[in-house]
Amino acid sequence: MGEFLKSTRFKVLLAFLAFLVGIMIYSVTKGGYSLSAASFINTITKPFRFASNSISMEMEKNADRISNADAYYEENLELKRQIGELNKKLTEYDDLLAEVEELRKLVVIKEEHPDNIFSQSAEVMGYIANDPFKGFTIDRGYADGIEPYAPVVTPEGIVGIIIEVSQHSSTVRTLLSPDLSIAAICSSTNTDFGIVEGSVLAAENFRTKLIHLNKDHGIKKGDLMITSGNSGLFPKDYAIGTVTEVGIEANGLSAYAEIEPAADISRLRSVFVIMDFEGKNDEEKEDNDEAEDTP
Amino acid sequence: MRLKTPREKRILYFKTTLRWFLYYFIIFSCFIIMTSGSLKKPVLLVPVALLIAVNNDLMASAYTGAFCGFLIDIACGRLLGFNAVLLTVFCVAATLVFELYLRKKFINYLVTISAASFLQCWLDYKFFYEIWGYADVELIFSSVTLKVWLYTVISTVILYILFKIINNLLMPKEHLTIEEVIRTS
Repeated sequence: MGEFLKSTRFKVLLAFLAFLVGIMIYSVTKGGYSLSAASFINTITKPFRFASNSISMEMEKNADRISNADAYYEENLELKRQIGELNKKLTEYDDLLAEVEELRKLVVIKEEHPDNIFSQSAEVMGYIANDPFKGFTIDRGYADGIEPYAPVVTPEGIVGIIIEVSQHSSTVRTLLSPDLSIAAICSSTNTDFGIVEGSVLAAENFRTKLIHLNKDHGIKKGDLMITSGNSGLFPKDYAIGTVTEVGIEANGLSAYAEIEPAADISRLRSVFVIMDFEGKNDEEKEDNDEAEDTP
Repeated sequence: MRLKTPREKRILYFKTTLRWFLYYFIIFSCFIIMTSGSLKKPVLLVPVALLIAVNNDLMASAYTGAFCGFLIDIACGRLLGFNAVLLTVFCVAATLVFELYLRKKFINYLVTISAASFLQCWLDYKFFYEIWGYADVELIFSSVTLKVWLYTVISTVILYILFKIINNLLMPKEHLTIEEVIRTS
């Protein structure tokens, strides 16, 4: 032992230890930054460490999988049950959200048109097969108080009119159809009247047409057309759509405008039916009254 | 086919019931397809009605034709009965033509169904668009009617295969078996 302590090897070892302690003290003074040599080593070995680490992790995982298979199986079952519960809650939440959204829409329309009586939100059951004018069926019928020729709207604007009513469903003719005419007025000028009526050409691009317009009209692209309420078929002041193109009819006697409907008719999910409104079917009511008076 | 034992009768009844159940399941599925989405779709119920008609007796063809026609009326928003009348006539005519003149070959089915489908599409166009004199109405013929007819003809191929499988498995054989011939003679 005494010989070893006196030997050169021991002295060299001490010197090396002192060197290491020196490095240690030096690295302490670096304030968190590693020495350049350590940095270099880290950089060089980085990819190898990644690879090695991933292999070992995978092996550990496999070992863990084998050794804890039963526990994982139980945990998996429990998680599946929890997912099932959460999915159920999510479905309920989605339904509630959809309901709230529908009610919100109804509130918006109600605020804008307080005199009108609306149906409950009606879901679009499906579009009429191969109809170029995009007629569709809704899930409300005469059991819900829907009547023929009642206007159909969305918060964005007019969609069409009910043409056929069953007990629990109704068919809607949209404003793309040439069989539906709506008296319209330009909201910006308030003087330019016309009739919004679908056409085969315009319906191809999901648009409709404003016809019988005075040649000296003041309508321009981007103007909003609204219902004038003159016909008694539609309530007043509902958005129909915006003007996308203005021109003169081929006969040269009147002008026309192409209208992009305010409501996206090709992708409707739900609509509202206006059950009653001010000025509705006045003529019809009078006719009925007269008929009742007649003995 | 000569039925001899109650067991054979029971099998026949079961097969017939199952066959008609499958027929009506296909009819129902086609109706659902026709009422889904907003794109142009083939009038699947025309080939379905005709494929059923040519393989069954006259009255069954007529009833099935009428039923399919009503469903088309509902799906396409047409006057209820319009397509029912058309399809009843088509189905009865197809049954008779196949009984008297045509062999049950794919090409004959395809030609018959194409002709019937074209007639249905053309009459639909005539009565629901052209007659009302809309401006540019011929555009509907080229962009809707012809496309729908073409889709219907294409879909006939798939429906033909489907009905071929069902009929091969469940249709009672019209010819006698060898044993039956021997016993009869």
